[in-house]
Parts: sequence; structure tokens; C-alpha cells
Amino acid sequence: MQDFTNETIDINLLPKYELVTLSKPHPNYWKIIVINILIFLLFIGAVLTVMLFNIPELKTYLYIIIAGYAVLAIFLFFIFKASFKRRGFAMREKDLIYKSGIIAETTTIVPLNRIQHVALNEGIFSRIFKLGKIQIYTAGGQSGHLMIAGVEIETAKSMKELLLKKLGEMDNLTENQS
Amino acid sequence: MNTEFSKPQRQSAIGIIIMAANTMFQLIKALIVPLIISLSKVNKGDLFYFFLAFLALLILVIIFAYLNYRRFTFHLNEEKQEFVVNKGIFSRTQLTIQLEKIQQVNINQNLLQKIIGIYGLKIDTAGSDGQEVSIQAIDENIAHSLREHLLDRKDNHHQNEETISNIENTTTIPFLKVSPLTLFKVGLTSNYGSSIALLIAFIYPLFHNVKEILNALKMDEGQVEHAVENIFTFFSLTILLGIILAIILVINVVRTFVKYFDFHISKHKHSLLISAGLFAKKNTLLSPDKVQTTTYSQNYFQKKMNLLNMNLKQAASGHATNGKEIHSTNLEIPGCSIAEKDELLMMILGKNPPKTAIFKPNFRFLNLPIFFRVILPIAIFFIFWTNTPEMKSFYPLAIVYFLLAIPMIYISYRRHRLMVDQDFIIKKSGIWDIKHEIMLPHKIQAITTFQYPWHKNVDVGHVNLHTAAGIIHFKYGNYTEIKQLVNYWLYQIESGSKEWM
Repeated sequence: MQDFTNETIDINLLPKYELVTLSKPHPNYWKIIVINILIFLLFIGAVLTVMLFNIPELKTYLYIIIAGYAVLAIFLFFIFKASFKRRGFAMREKDLIYKSGIIAETTTIVPLNRIQHVALNEGIFSRIFKLGKIQIYTAGGQSGHLMIAGVEIETAKSMKELLLKKLGEMDNLTENQS
Repeated sequence: MNTEFSKPQRQSAIGIIIMAANTMFQLIKALIVPLIISLSKVNKGDLFYFFLAFLALLILVIIFAYLNYRRFTFHLNEEKQEFVVNKGIFSRTQLTIQLEKIQQVNINQNLLQKIIGIYGLKIDTAGSDGQEVSIQAIDENIAHSLREHLLDRKDNHHQNEETISNIENTTTIPFLKVSPLTLFKVGLTSNYGSSIALLIAFIYPLFHNVKEILNALKMDEGQVEHAVENIFTFFSLTILLGIILAIILVINVVRTFVKYFDFHISKHKHSLLISAGLFAKKNTLLSPDKVQTTTYSQNYFQKKMNLLNMNLKQAASGHATNGKEIHSTNLEIPGCSIAEKDELLMMILGKNPPKTAIFKPNFRFLNLPIFFRVILPIAIFFIFWTNTPEMKSFYPLAIVYFLLAIPMIYISYRRHRLMVDQDFIIKKSGIWDIKHEIMLPHKIQAITTFQYPWHKNVDVGHVNLHTAAGIIHFKYGNYTEIKQLVNYWLYQIESGSKEWM
């Protein structure tokens, strides 16, 4: 009990999560996003073409359809570019911060002592560009999980190792207490 | 009495009846409509074969139930601190549950089990895949001693408690009892939504099935629709509404009685023992540390009668792996007084939440609901109104809707409050039922803050607190204050060593 202290806390002196400098996703991740958008657009385009050839009545709306398609494409690029610029993550001593958002700017903070499980995911395209996605699961349900995409694979691996090590340490700590 | 569970043992032999009855019930429930149809079509002479087929089915079900009974064993592995269940006729399954993962052990009794005089036991775990074990038929004292073993073992393991011997047969005095009168009041004043859903869920298949049967008997020439139409013209709409309302109230009261009859909570060492039920008695043992959020709610009528509904949310399976959702289990406490509520909060939270700093939302809270719930529907209605002549006479409905919706949105804005204190987070909300969600900061799993770009200049933002039993939202708050709070909560979570369950 001798090292028990109970000083008053000045809230303004607490570390501020909003001032932490975040590391951006790797620039190559933008390429992956572009590939994904292109695949999506290709799929939509294929469906539209098949429809155009089979339903003659649609021919009259040809220009409207093409214009709509172009608008969708531009809109998707614009939105994803904006969201890409917003993304960022940081690992503090005791928590993880992840910022994202398409329209709203969302910041999610997961304290390290609430992490249940850590996983590393590499997609096909990610592997080409040597990137990885760190998945962090909490007991807070679907919306409480963190998915940090576009991290260089080496960084991602060491981050995962570090997190797992910290999880192990914390487990030991609680076991010793009981 | 066998209180040692180290050797594999079976359920009560009489449980075969329960298992057979369950299967039979499921079968009949699934086949009820085709059965009635084919019964109505067969000749008198064929009825004998029908009966024979039924008998064969019954025998088959009983054989299966017997095999199931023979193959179902359970035991405690003392060394590994595990509870092991073996089951399955053709493919054998072994379920192993670590004792420390056990969240709840429920002892239940449904009507049939009550008649035969045996109990069912269900184990809720916090395992990675949320597996559940249910034993359908065991004796009362075996059930209770098994529960003691399952739960006490853990206590012994974790913290060296005083002797366990004295809890074996102590008759605990309930500190909260809900009287039939209170139940009646509760039935009259709450849970309308689920009763309406129940009514619809009941009436629709009834209507559907009656039609199907009549169809099969080649009797239906629109009789059902016709009859329904007749009923509608016979009663005027208002009388019909009154009748529906009365039915809903009656269902509500009956439901409340069936579910919560003889509801009482008693203290049981470090846990709360909650039991209730008219036909099926349900016993739940829960430890207060595992409660994630505590909610109490009250509407206008209940306030007049000094009644509260309480709700304790737990995380059923705490370890979420690979995106698997966690199911939270709810424990509902119908009708308690303010004093009883305070006592229960004391039990669960350790102290009563004081009146504290209150955070209010910005008036922009009103914008979206007013647009989506009022302006948009009325605009759509207006488009219809100008284009279709049939709609002309319905315009009073739109006015009534407008006059009702605006105050409701305003009330929801006035009620949306967040109260924060060193030890508590309380979220108040609701329009008709005013709800208080109480949570301890160390139960937070993750925090999300978000802000729309057009709110940046006015400093308005939102915060979501993720817990293992759902999310607490606070919308349209002062973003600077929210950030400060988040930093404070993070400090509390990260500097403390309190376990969230």
C-alpha cells in the first residue's frame, strides 16, 4: 500500500488523443484501392453491356446510362481519395488510434488492455505491393473492431508481434494478481 | 446423493420422456398444416394406417431418445478444471468447458419437467465460440449441487474465499420480491411493442393457415377475406381499435404473469440469484462484476405508480474472434420501486450514482430527425396528394402526424443527456419510456468519436462507447468537451487494472 497515491487529476494535463501525429497508410495502398474500384466498375460495366445487348428498349437511354456510369466512376474516385487522405493510425504506449471516414471523420481508440485477438490479413493485391491489414478484435462487437489496412508488411508484422507480446504481458499481470 | 461429478454420469432415466416429448412436439409443430390437410382428405378406412404410421413414428422417436440418453454423459475433470459432456448417437461430440469461462448456470423447469419432477440445467460460457451446454433432465439436488460445483470451483480458484460449506443449504432471504399486484401494473404499462409483435405473429399464420386448410378442402371462395371484411364493416374502426387495444393489454398482462410470476432476487454469496416464472421456473445466478450495463426505464404511467423496469446486460461470450458477434444476455427486472432500484444498483455498482456533470446536445440534434421523419414523409405525401384524387380526404392524417412528430422529436432532444462522474457514465434518453443506461468506465472496450465536416466550425461531434453489451451513443455534443471526456476515460481504462468481466 505504500506506493498508493491519489492525487487530483487535471483533465487538461492528460495526454490528448486528438493531438497524436498519425502515420498514413502506404502510398501503394492507394493503388490497391484503385484496382478494387476498377474491378467494381468493370463488373458494373459488364452487367450494363449485357443488358444493353439483350433489352433493345434500353438503347434509347444509351447516353444517360453512359453519363450515369461516368458520374459513378468519378464519384467513387473522389470519395475514396478523400477517405484515403483521412486515414491514419498510431500506436501509443497504452492504446491504438485509428482515424478514417468517408464523409464523417471517425476516430476509434482501442486500449491495449481491451484487445481480445490480433490477426494479420494479406489479400492478393496487398501481397503484390507488400502490404498487410492488421485486424484487432475487441469484445465491443462488430463496430468495436479495428481494421488497419495498407500497412507495410514488415511494419504490420512487427506491430502484430508487439501487440501479442503486450497482450501476453497483461495476461501474466492479471494472473499474478489473482 | 451423488455430489461428486468426477465420474461420467447420465441424466435421469426419466429424461427420456422429456427428450421424446420435445422431438415429438417439434415434429408436430412443423407438420401441423400438412397433417390437418391430409387428415381431412383421407377416407375413414385409411385412418387406421394413419394411426399406425403415427405409432411407428412415436416408437422411433422414443428409441432415438433412449439412444440419446445412453450416449449423453457429463462429468467434471478436477485436474484440468473442465466440465466435459459427451453426446451424439452417430457422430460423437465431446464438449469441454473450462470452469473459469462459465458465465451463468441456469436451472430451469418447464411445464412437462415440472409434472415429472426434474430440472433442466443450462451453462452459458464465455468461450471463443460461445458454446452452450444444456442438460435436459436431472434431479433437483443434483442440479443444485452441480451448479455449486461449477461456480464455486471458480471462486476457490480465483480468490481464497471463506468456507463454502455454509452456502449449501442456507435459505436466503430475497431482498427484492415482485408482488402479483405490481406485475399487473407492469403488464398494463410496459412492453407494448413486443405484445403487438406477438399478436401479429400469431394472427398472421392463423389467417394464413385457415386459408390454406380451407383451400385444401376446396371450400374457399374468398370466404376468409369476406369474413374479415364483414367483421370490419360490422364494427366501426374505433370499436375495432378499442378491442385490439384491450387484447394487447390482456396479452401483455398474461405474458408478464407467465414470465415473471413470483419474481425474486436474493443474495447468494457474491452473486445474485434471480428466479421467476409461472409454468417454467427459471433460476439465474449472476455475478455483479459481469454486468456490463445497467438500465432502468420509466414511463409516465409508471412514474405515477412508482414503478421502474430494470435491465441488466451481460456479455454472454466475451471473446470475439474472427469477427464473430457477441451475444449479450439481458436480465429483465419488472417493476421495482425507486428504493429497490437503489438497493440493486448498490449491489451491482458498489455505490449509487450521484447527480453529476450533465452534458447536453447541440440544437442541431433536431435537424436530421425533423428532415427525415417530418419534412420528407410529408413532402412525399404532398406529391401523392396533388396527383391522386383518392388521397384527398386523408390530409387530416398528415396534419395529425406533423403535430405529433414535432413534439416527439423535441422531447427526444430534451431527454438526450450524458452524465459523467468519476465512477459512472450515465446516458439518459427516450421519448415515452425514459431510459437511464448506467455504465462503469472500465467496462468500455473501445471509443469512437466522429464529426461531420460541416460541424467543424460549430464544434459539434458525436461519441460512441462500445461495451460488450452494446453501444452507448451520445450525439451532437460539444466536441471539445467530448475529446476531453474521451481522454479522461482512456486514462481511467488504461491506468486501472480492473477487469471488465
